[in-house]
Amino acid sequence: MGLLSLLRRLRGNTQKELRILLLGLDNAGKTTLLKTLASEDVTHITPTQGFNIKTVQSAGFNLNVWDIGGQRRIRPYWKNYFENTDILIYVIDSADRKRFEETGEELNDLLEEERLAGVPVIIFANKQDLVSAASATDISNGLNLTQIRDREWHIQPCSAQSGEGVKDGLEWVIKTCGKKK
Amino acid sequence: MPSKAEDIMSGFSLNWMNLRDADSGKILWQSSDDLAVPDAEHEARVPKKILKCRAVSRELNFSSKEAMEKFRLEQRVLFKGKCLEDWFFEFGFVIPGSTNTWQSVIEAAPESQMMPASILNGNVLIETRFFDGDLLVSTSKVRIFYV
Repeated sequence: MGLLSLLRRLRGNTQKELRILLLGLDNAGKTTLLKTLASEDVTHITPTQGFNIKTVQSAGFNLNVWDIGGQRRIRPYWKNYFENTDILIYVIDSADRKRFEETGEELNDLLEEERLAGVPVIIFANKQDLVSAASATDISNGLNLTQIRDREWHIQPCSAQSGEGVKDGLEWVIKTCGKKK
Repeated sequence: MPSKAEDIMSGFSLNWMNLRDADSGKILWQSSDDLAVPDAEHEARVPKKILKCRAVSRELNFSSKEAMEKFRLEQRVLFKGKCLEDWFFEFGFVIPGSTNTWQSVIEAAPESQMMPASILNGNVLIETRFFDGDLLVSTSKVRIFYV
């Protein structure tokens, strides 16, 4: 796995740069997901008070992943990072049932955002390793994801902590990027 | 009277840097000194085996009290003053009161083209300059020693 191998597989795409935007409520696991992608230690992650950017370069091809903090105070700034996004990754804490409504509203706002129009979205139903986690199907139904018609979308159950399901989600990202030329 | 530029500069701090083997994600070096001290040249003692890595990541963490609209950085890797590699990265907007990280991953040159540690030792300088538009906000210099 890893971001470099992801990038190697994306080469040959006509685009020279790929921008992935990683959003979700605070404590959804965005930074953990990003670190898991790079095989990094995930035991000491603290709330993101701004952004974390990973930029990977291989044979003149660039991959930039933007992980923006999800705290309420930071969310109004998300809009500053919409421009030129190729793929939106939205992360949900599947065990945080109290905030399903809140996360659904934030996701809806993003889907209605003009600057993200038509941008494919993958929703990671994270923290599937927790017993109390809702299934991806339940989340998909609860958030009316099946009503999304104006873009490609996919929901992927995963555990960013253990890495389970993360690779499958990336496969979807690669497949989807390959299509849009 | 403090200007906006001065506020931006005085509100900016570089907190830490590290180098990793990008394949394993393991940290090979992490800064310990106060990187916020301006103009000082910092020293990194990095295990020689970093030169064997297929890909290396450089990560830096910074804070800004002020919002910035056109934040960008230029990073150069210099060998005896000659530029071996450069990165330009546009962040755009920086959230006021934020702490942020930027990590760049790059594949190493093939081993046949890699200079030996004894030659590189002490001669490699990573220079990072931070700008808001045309305003130079901060400069960081880290000299690499291979041990």
